[in-house]
Amino acid sequence: MIKQGKNFFHWLVSNIDLYLVLSVTILIVISFIAIYSAGSNYGMSFRYLSVQFLATGIGFLGLLLLASFNYQHYKHLDKLIYVLSLVLLASVLLFGSVKRGTKGWFDFGFISFQPVEIAKIMYILVLSSFLDTKAKEFKRVSFLISTFAILLGHLVFIMMQPDFSSTLSYFPVTLFLLYAIGIEFFYLLCIIIGGGLVVGIPLLGTFFDMQLKIAQNKTFLTNLILFLKNDNTVVYIISAVLVLIISSWWFLWKLRIRIPIIYPVVLCGAIVLGCVSSTFVEKSLKDYQRKRLVVFLDPHVDPRGSGYNIIQSKIAIGSGKFTGKGLKKGTQTQLGFLPEQHTDFIFSVIGEEGGWIIAQLTLIFYFLFIWRALVIAKESRDRYGSLMAIGIATMFAFYAVINIGMVMGMMPVTGIPLLFLSYGGSSIFSSLCAVGVLCSIYIRRHTY
Amino acid sequence: MVWQKEDRFAYENFLEKHKAIFVFFILFFICLSMRLFYLQIIKGNKYKAISEHQRLHNTNERAPRGIVYSSDNDILVSNKFSYVALYYPLDGHKKISNETLKNLEIILGRDIKPKTDKNNKYGKILKLADNLTKEEMFKIREQNLRLCGVSVVREPRRVYPLAETSSHVTGYTSEIKPEEIEELSEQGYKPGYYIGRGGIEQAYDKYLQGKTGGWQVEVNARGYRVKALKYIPPEIGASIYSTINSKLQKVAYDALKNSDTGKGAVVVLDAKTGAVLSLVSCPGFDTNKIRYKEFSKFLKDKNLPLFNRALQALYPPGSIFKVVTFVAAVEVLNINPSEKVLCTGKLELGDRYYTCWCKHGHGWLDLVHATAQSCNIYFYQLGLKLGVKNLEKFSKKFYLGKKTGIDLPNEKNGFVPNPEWKKSKQKIKWLQGDTVIFSIGQGGLWVTPLQMSCMMSSIANKGVYNKPYVVEKVIDINGEELYRHKPEKEDRINLSDRTWSLLHTALLETVESGTGKRCKFKYIKVTGKTGTAQNPHGKDHAWFISYAPSDNPEIVIAVIVEHGGGGGINAVPVGREIYRAYFDMVSETENNRESVR
Repeated sequence: MIKQGKNFFHWLVSNIDLYLVLSVTILIVISFIAIYSAGSNYGMSFRYLSVQFLATGIGFLGLLLLASFNYQHYKHLDKLIYVLSLVLLASVLLFGSVKRGTKGWFDFGFISFQPVEIAKIMYILVLSSFLDTKAKEFKRVSFLISTFAILLGHLVFIMMQPDFSSTLSYFPVTLFLLYAIGIEFFYLLCIIIGGGLVVGIPLLGTFFDMQLKIAQNKTFLTNLILFLKNDNTVVYIISAVLVLIISSWWFLWKLRIRIPIIYPVVLCGAIVLGCVSSTFVEKSLKDYQRKRLVVFLDPHVDPRGSGYNIIQSKIAIGSGKFTGKGLKKGTQTQLGFLPEQHTDFIFSVIGEEGGWIIAQLTLIFYFLFIWRALVIAKESRDRYGSLMAIGIATMFAFYAVINIGMVMGMMPVTGIPLLFLSYGGSSIFSSLCAVGVLCSIYIRRHTY
Repeated sequence: MVWQKEDRFAYENFLEKHKAIFVFFILFFICLSMRLFYLQIIKGNKYKAISEHQRLHNTNERAPRGIVYSSDNDILVSNKFSYVALYYPLDGHKKISNETLKNLEIILGRDIKPKTDKNNKYGKILKLADNLTKEEMFKIREQNLRLCGVSVVREPRRVYPLAETSSHVTGYTSEIKPEEIEELSEQGYKPGYYIGRGGIEQAYDKYLQGKTGGWQVEVNARGYRVKALKYIPPEIGASIYSTINSKLQKVAYDALKNSDTGKGAVVVLDAKTGAVLSLVSCPGFDTNKIRYKEFSKFLKDKNLPLFNRALQALYPPGSIFKVVTFVAAVEVLNINPSEKVLCTGKLELGDRYYTCWCKHGHGWLDLVHATAQSCNIYFYQLGLKLGVKNLEKFSKKFYLGKKTGIDLPNEKNGFVPNPEWKKSKQKIKWLQGDTVIFSIGQGGLWVTPLQMSCMMSSIANKGVYNKPYVVEKVIDINGEELYRHKPEKEDRINLSDRTWSLLHTALLETVESGTGKRCKFKYIKVTGKTGTAQNPHGKDHAWFISYAPSDNPEIVIAVIVEHGGGGGINAVPVGREIYRAYFDMVSETENNRESVR
């Protein structure tokens, strides 16, 4: 099937998914314009753009290379890829340089590289391969445990950097792939409940603290919060929930509705485990991080501190109105009210200067891209390809939702970039590599 | 289509999950789109306004207040300008940074201690330094980038050339107090504005306030000015043309100041219109120094310099009230003016004696001479015959116990007593003795010097009452007339001509040969009445109310010298000074006119 020279290139181009590449190209063009505008405030337009051009060029080369490479080979190389990704993550801990408190960069002078970006893609390849080979055993507990072991390998290294926000995409990718392979929804629900409790309890505590600080007088609400903040109350509530679950199961059993005992036990286990590990999370998260995560619920609690970014970003997007303020005319952007405008808050720049039209178009193209990724998942010739495509689509979708949700004040401030749009060489390169993998799957959809 | 090496079932199972995932992502997308629509289309205007508010900043340049002129084209109040360095706190920079302060200190070469505003709750602007020179101002403007939030504005200051002489006519200005803001903000006043206090400054504040201008500038997130957008020049307030004659005002103030106690009030009215030519309350206060430490000195001064005696001080009228008793007696009792009454120096009533000021008695007196000599015994008897009802009625006829309605703030009512008042207040019945002292203007009767001048003015005009006023017209910067004094519909005291002519004769006689003879001029005949008001606080108050010339009244003067003793000795010379100055002035202008011809 492998052809040579010009012929090969012709075959590649004619079989590539044009919608996919086109939407990516348009997003990248929008990104260039937005980065140019955002950078001009710092007087860095030229530097940002040149870095971005270079990374995009290399990224497209990677795209073509990966598209021409048969993805099925990854399956045989999965152990090697996994070890390589761990080596990358480990070596950055040893040789990397520190930026913004995170030791996650290889610095090559003009350009620096963040290995976690490429490790994310490698993780998808490895996990898909594992799930594909072990697909028949998905009902075993050992299957779940090994999946989480693979996940933990990456998480431990990334947390050591520490780069909390980069780990975020791992969870939805893992969950969605498990769901796609056919894990019972109940177990996924248990995992989500457990995970939710792990982060939910400390964050809720922080949110209550902030509310109490601005509450002037003792109303019913503040009393309720004080009551809930008591440690004993939390224990009582949890034990009450556990008793409720067990007793309702017993009641249903008496009504001859037979539910296997494993379900309530697993559910209770997830709740208890979640609560216990939440205390560790509470200790490991720093105060400002916790505040940042909950402040989106009410940014005016702390308008000059943790709420500043969200408030300014909402003002930037909202003030763009229908047609926008025009390129380089956005006051929020050009006067520096908007923080991190070329990276995490690039969507606010688009919203302010391009208005609703351009922002909505950007969203549509983003969705078009995710839709194509899902189509590729459906059309793949084998399960391995489908799983990889689902994983990649999930990663992009969650990055987009978390980032755009953040800049519009619907999601916590986590500091993850908007793939394809934010400034950042590593992320654009790895994103294009992921597109390359998708293309590789698409090109070979009919090859049996 | 099926997966390679897999059965159909596995693929179909996957397709189901795939569909669910797809729906899930569509929901995500719809959520984001709805939020975007909400922020940009529904709430767009609100956020646009917030973004404009945070980027635009106005430096307020206070408009100078209007200028107040006297009737002889002198300036009563004007402005002086100085440059002031202010700190405008911006979002996120509530306090001035030490770095900025240091830079400013280097430029100016002096220590800067920013005055913290007491009313931080409202105006947050800090004054860093005032009285800057032009060079310093330019230096600060040049070094703008290193001085975050600092700007230099031209600030007008009020100047009062006549200082304490005109203090109670002009009043003074000071910054709005925080407790006043709530009420005044409805009328467009803002924190940091200066408002008038007392006098014309207060009464005509809405005309005097100019329009605040300033630069609209664009500020970046760190609070530095990026560019200036537009400049709105401040607009000076309207000019006020007052009726006050500055020369007369000075003469009146000096005359009063040099009198026995240096305390008291003078009101000079134009007899024909009611225009106030001068209004003096002594001692005055230097309105130029109001912002400094002197102000607290003024507040603590036992002579009460801030107290406008002409409008606010209540005195017993004493003998000058005899004109009311006189009029009532002629009108009601229709007494024979040539009928004589014996004054022995005292009057016995019940178990008490009421004395005349002349201890030996005046002997036999008719109405005119009793008035000229201000004989108490004669008027006691008139009062007894009239009764308290008539005295009260005629007092009110002469507008006593009522505000004159002058266009200056904080005027007092005064008070006319009556039996009901005494009963409710002191729980004692009105006695004949009360009527006796009422008839010579003592005992519960309170008047202001302004009221007395108005009373005299209506006597001069045979009953026509002119409301006193100090502002003739208000003209704004474009030459448009915003206000002009209009005489109110004629109000008069209806008395018979005989009463008027009798009264005029008696009052003329008072100056010609009676108690007021210290004010007698060779060519000009002055008509007036003196008074010596007893009061519980110390020496008697000296009164003199008069008008001149007798046949064609031009000006009315009311003088009171607080604790000055006898009216004829202490108050009359003050009146004389003013008359001399006035008629000198008149003849001078006439001579000038002739020489021009």
